[in-house]
Amino acid sequence: MNLLSIFNQVEISHYIYLSTVLFSIGLFGVLFRRNAIILLMCIELMLNAVNLLFTAFSTYMGDADGQIFVFFIMVVAAAEAAVGLAILVLVYRNTRKTDVSFLDQLKG
Amino acid sequence: MIALFITFFAAVVILFLGLNKKESSFSNLAVVALMASSICSFCNAKGLCNFAILESWVPANMMLFGYSEHMFASLLAFVAAVIVFAFRKNDNLGTDQLGLIMFSLCGAFMMISYQHIVMLFLGIEVLSIPLYVLAGSKKDSLASNEASLKYFLMGAFSTGIFLLGTAFIYGGTGSLELEMMGIKPSFMHAMEGMPIPTLINAGLILMSVGLLFKVAAAPFHFWAPDVYVGSPNRTTVFMATIVKITAFVAFNKLLSTFGGIHNTWSGWLCVLGMITIVWGNLAGLVQNGVKRTLAFSSIAHAGYLVMFLLILDESKTWILWYYGFAYALASVLVFLIAHQSATDKNPVGFDMFNGLSKRSPWVAFALVVGVLSMAGIPISAGFDAKFYLFSFAWQSSPWLVGVGLLGSAISIGYYFKFIKHAFLVKVDGDETAVEYNDKGLMMLIAALLLLAGAMPWVLLKWVF
Repeated sequence: MNLLSIFNQVEISHYIYLSTVLFSIGLFGVLFRRNAIILLMCIELMLNAVNLLFTAFSTYMGDADGQIFVFFIMVVAAAEAAVGLAILVLVYRNTRKTDVSFLDQLKG
Repeated sequence: MIALFITFFAAVVILFLGLNKKESSFSNLAVVALMASSICSFCNAKGLCNFAILESWVPANMMLFGYSEHMFASLLAFVAAVIVFAFRKNDNLGTDQLGLIMFSLCGAFMMISYQHIVMLFLGIEVLSIPLYVLAGSKKDSLASNEASLKYFLMGAFSTGIFLLGTAFIYGGTGSLELEMMGIKPSFMHAMEGMPIPTLINAGLILMSVGLLFKVAAAPFHFWAPDVYVGSPNRTTVFMATIVKITAFVAFNKLLSTFGGIHNTWSGWLCVLGMITIVWGNLAGLVQNGVKRTLAFSSIAHAGYLVMFLLILDESKTWILWYYGFAYALASVLVFLIAHQSATDKNPVGFDMFNGLSKRSPWVAFALVVGVLSMAGIPISAGFDAKFYLFSFAWQSSPWLVGVGLLGSAISIGYYFKFIKHAFLVKVDGDETAVEYNDKGLMMLIAALLLLAGAMPWVLLKWVF
């Protein structure tokens, strides 16, 4: 039994559900957690859910575009994480905490 | 394409040559490079010169510069040149901020010319990531830190939503190229259990949410006032003008690709536009800070521009170009005057303009022109921009135009605050006089706004 046929036994809709659930976990994490580092992790989770979906679609359609896109998403996510952590260090130096409750200073 | 190349290489050169030098010694070079990209892309659009060799390096299914793309690139590079010139800094060591501004502009060029969703995504990120850094470039200021972190978190969050939409669209249409996406929705891959129309609709909605975050349209605008207030002025202007225009160009391209299913969801875009206009203008009325008021004004302008997306006319991009021209120049002018008026005594409030008409009448005149143009009063470019926008949108979305007219009327309330403080408020006389630099530039922008407002057909005939 080759690999592709194993993939094809799982319906594409299952992948859609799985990545939507993963994405929602990340989304609710961003909305409800207070620690900025956990927020970053939740955003990564959202992006990786999208990666999973792209790979699944790509495999099912036999089209390489989706898998190439995944590489781009990973590269950009790495760049974003680098900038995000740098900003977090900047904030930590000035406030000594990584809590986003600090974000109320400008009365949003 | 030529604008992208010039800006990118100039940015690299400026970044590395100026590592340990003062920023002020390189800002002129940056202005020259940006003006060169503006002029070159204008000439390219007009067919005066041809850079076909550059076009052949990038596949046409990735990025394609047609006439309107060149024109938008020209406009954006011009606005960026004005911003870099007007807000040049003398005390900065290192040219990293100049480089980041120009890299960010490269992202804008990618976003306006994309033919493939990968390029749209990369464009959004190349535009945004330098801005996260620039928003926090006042390292010791807590407000700037907060703006940076908030912008970063919201930007990354909206990118995630946008990408989920992209994945759904990919599943629904089987392609990431705009051309293919438009013509073969729900095509051959008859996979079991693949709800194709649902996927495409969900994907479009999620992608729109991602882009509406970027333009700060309600209800995704909540980050904007704080970020605009906390960021350094140069970054704020960049965000309020270039990011907004770029995102609308990209959004329009995406929507016109899916023209066929336009009707099913133009309704909710219309509603979002109404909410944005009403909210932006009403909230703008009750603000005390200058930058906060301008932030809400820019939210309201995003609401007006939602009308542009709903116009059915095929050749409508010139409306966005003209609106972007008027709005961007007026924003730069008002922000520039506010930037220079701020003193230690009056850092944020409208009191900074007190007695401006006595202190320097020409600056007061420029401020009035800028503010009236943003409000859309006749004989300023803003009026013509709004007139074209509203009259073309009337056919497809009359209710939204009605709300837009109402919103413009409300907005005069807070735009008048600028004029009131500059002309009517009496000063005691012990105010320290502020020295205004670049009066020539202010007058030039004001003159451009008045000329473009008085004779819009000249500009439009010349450009489109």
